Amino acid sequence: MIRDITIGQYYPAESVIHRLDPRTKLSLTFVYLVSLFLANNRYMFLLAAMVLTAYIIASKVPVRYMLKGIKGILLFIAASVVINMFFTKGDPFISLGVVTITWQGFRTAVFTMLRILMLVMGSSVLTYTTTPTKLTDGLEKGMRGLKKWKIPVHEISMMIGIALRFIPILIEELNKIMKAQQARGADYEHGSIFRRLKNMIPIFVPMFVSAIRRANDLALAMEARCYRGGEGRTKLHPLKYTAADGITYGMMLIYLAAMIAIRIIYTQGLIERLEQMQLPAALIR
Amino acid sequence: MIQAEHVQFEYFRRDDDGNVSELVEAVKDVSLRITSGEFVAILGRNGSGKSTFAKLINALLTPSEGTLMIGGLDASDEDLKWDIRKKTGMIFQNPDNQIVGTVVEEDVAFGPENLGTPEDIMINRVAESLEQVGMAAYRLTSPNHLSGGQKQRVAISGVLAMHPQCIIFDESTAMLDPSGREEVLQIARRLNEAEGITILYITHEMEEAVIADRICVLHEGALVMEGSPKQIFARQEELLQYGLALPAVTEIAAGIRRQGVEFATDILDIDDFISEMNRQMAYRNADIVRNTRGMSSNRPYGSAEDTQKSEVDEADQHRAVTEGLVCNHISYVYQPGTAYETKVLHDVNLTINKGDFIALIGHTGSGKSTLVQHLNGLLKPTEGQIFFEGNDIHEKDYDRSYLRSKVGLVFQYPEHQLFADTVLNDVCFGPKNLKLPLLEVQQRAFEAIHLVGLTDDVYDLSPFELSGGQMRRVAIAGVLAMKPDILILDEPSAGLDPMGRRELFEILKSLHEIGMTILYITHNMEEVAEYARRVLVMDQGSIVYDAPVGHIFEYGKELKKMGLQVPAVTRLMKEMRQNGYAVPEDLYRKEDAIQYIVDYIRS
Repeated sequence: MIRDITIGQYYPAESVIHRLDPRTKLSLTFVYLVSLFLANNRYMFLLAAMVLTAYIIASKVPVRYMLKGIKGILLFIAASVVINMFFTKGDPFISLGVVTITWQGFRTAVFTMLRILMLVMGSSVLTYTTTPTKLTDGLEKGMRGLKKWKIPVHEISMMIGIALRFIPILIEELNKIMKAQQARGADYEHGSIFRRLKNMIPIFVPMFVSAIRRANDLALAMEARCYRGGEGRTKLHPLKYTAADGITYGMMLIYLAAMIAIRIIYTQGLIERLEQMQLPAALIR
Repeated sequence: MIQAEHVQFEYFRRDDDGNVSELVEAVKDVSLRITSGEFVAILGRNGSGKSTFAKLINALLTPSEGTLMIGGLDASDEDLKWDIRKKTGMIFQNPDNQIVGTVVEEDVAFGPENLGTPEDIMINRVAESLEQVGMAAYRLTSPNHLSGGQKQRVAISGVLAMHPQCIIFDESTAMLDPSGREEVLQIARRLNEAEGITILYITHEMEEAVIADRICVLHEGALVMEGSPKQIFARQEELLQYGLALPAVTEIAAGIRRQGVEFATDILDIDDFISEMNRQMAYRNADIVRNTRGMSSNRPYGSAEDTQKSEVDEADQHRAVTEGLVCNHISYVYQPGTAYETKVLHDVNLTINKGDFIALIGHTGSGKSTLVQHLNGLLKPTEGQIFFEGNDIHEKDYDRSYLRSKVGLVFQYPEHQLFADTVLNDVCFGPKNLKLPLLEVQQRAFEAIHLVGLTDDVYDLSPFELSGGQMRRVAIAGVLAMKPDILILDEPSAGLDPMGRRELFEILKSLHEIGMTILYITHNMEEVAEYARRVLVMDQGSIVYDAPVGHIFEYGKELKKMGLQVPAVTRLMKEMRQNGYAVPEDLYRKEDAIQYIVDYIRS
């Protein structure tokens, strides 16, 4: 089950996006997220979708592979659509017996859905095209400034890197321990929640012991290979900005400026039109 | 390279309140000199101080007393520890727990990165050291997609990238299958011969120690034996006393000597054995070549299928339906309909009869573990049915908890699933889940603990205070307490020292004697030959051979193709035949081989 989710998995391919500096991609993702929250009309969503399409095509990650990743959050999207659709007050759009869908509800639901979908897809391009190590390298170098405030940037990124490496190993181990206890008659499916939680003890204790043992082993292995923190460390592939990164930053700024411009124009334009057409003020939301 | 004089390492063991409860002397007064370019094997039981000694050499620990010089550097000097670690690399036991990088090349670069190696030099070193272990093609692969042997090769490569003068292998082959072991051992050998790197090879496999220049035996922290392999393995009694064993061929030679034949003491491999036989026979002036061929070729051998069919006759089948476990054309597809879809089992037919003692062998990934998880209903076959006592175990109203109590399954490294505060509580877990009355639960636990050869004083100990071998026995007792009819064990001897393995199989033998049906997975062919009655061979998800143990080893060539071997005895017999000795093909137990050869020499 857990293995089916493709979000966050690296997809090896040769593309412009794969070659970009992770810092660039991190900034890009951040700016894109901000832009999605700024979006409040269809023109902005249209532009954001166009940019996303171009971004995905350039990344050479197959769309089918990406869509499979989204499956896991469909339920979440559906829930937010339903909540927005039925619980937003306003002018009736469709009436189905007891439930009424309002214009505003419909609009918010569609926008929320688009926002979540594009948000997930936009940020998953980052993880599809960047190896975990590069990502943590990018975080480490991008946040270097924080060291001044005694934030252990190197250690944090090392920890994230190790966690990413050990997650699949620990999942496999969890699976094995659950089966081993099942073979001894353990039952995780029946009984009250309290009972079921109690039944988890034979799983959690060995998992905990194993995690500590692994941590111990790993620490020893790292020390044996002369690890002593971030001081004086070099990198096999140090991060370097290239021309492509510069161009990407440029395009990113243009995109952000365009989004802001549309928002301003649209907001003002709409108000003018409303004044002319004397529609109910409720629509201006 | 390494000079140890009266090296001592001790630490305090503390109880729960942090008070010192005892002083543990992990390494006691060890004096040893290892010159550059030597290949030294270190043997000893679990807990004999081997790993501690290795860590001292790598400056992961500092000696409490004595002097230890590593390549001219004093290991007691804290400031020098980074220089020492640069000179001596270490490969640990668990392949997963020593890989830091998420991609192979990043992991190899980890050491040089720590040393502050400039980028251009580093790129060359990474490429070069991956080439040395034959992993260059996997440069950009994730370690999670590699086999155990490949992971260890990556770890070796990571050490090589730091240009060490000495590499310590700390039981690095213990968790690998035979082909993985071979990969690691060959690399160690080549690095030693071609690059002149000093190798310290800690192992439980006597066959691996044979190739060393020198062997050191540690026992309870002290260096008790030291010498060339020939010298060491000639001292059989001492080795056994220290919980070790002999290489199979050496053991046969020793057995022959015990029968009163003047056989040489320095026999380590088959070649030695044959030349000693030649000497013996020349001495007796016997006519060897006569009547040789006849014996080996006249015997009729059926194909595997024939054997399989003739073994399970109708009466047996009928009995199995009502008493045993039957797999009827089962197939298993892993994650059907996804990108990970793989067919793990393919049309498996299997009948386990009451009283069977079965070894299940096969290359890693051949589907052994998946098959045994079907046998107690943990996995459900995608196709086919499984019958226990004549009932389909995946019928809607079948009580699978009953099945799990009757078919006990002991996983690989079962000690990793222990969880309770005391041994007794852990062993009680199974019977308690069967909702038995408390008295019965405890009675079963006591019985089970005795069955695995542990004594009353362990009941109230925490399972985590026990030694590795004892923990494994507690875990097996946890399954035995369910009173299974059939006991299935997935690589029960993995990671144990020779003594631990012998003890474990003695337990299995005694369980079989009291009527339990036993099936175990193993990679060790000696364990197949010495204990099993029937052998199942799996390859690519199918059972390709199912025959009595004596027959299986006739398919040496086919087994080899599947990445499996035949036991040393079978290999020895084959070599002897090729050298003109009229020995039968179907000898596979050491005892039988010894008896036969003694008679042969005397006749």
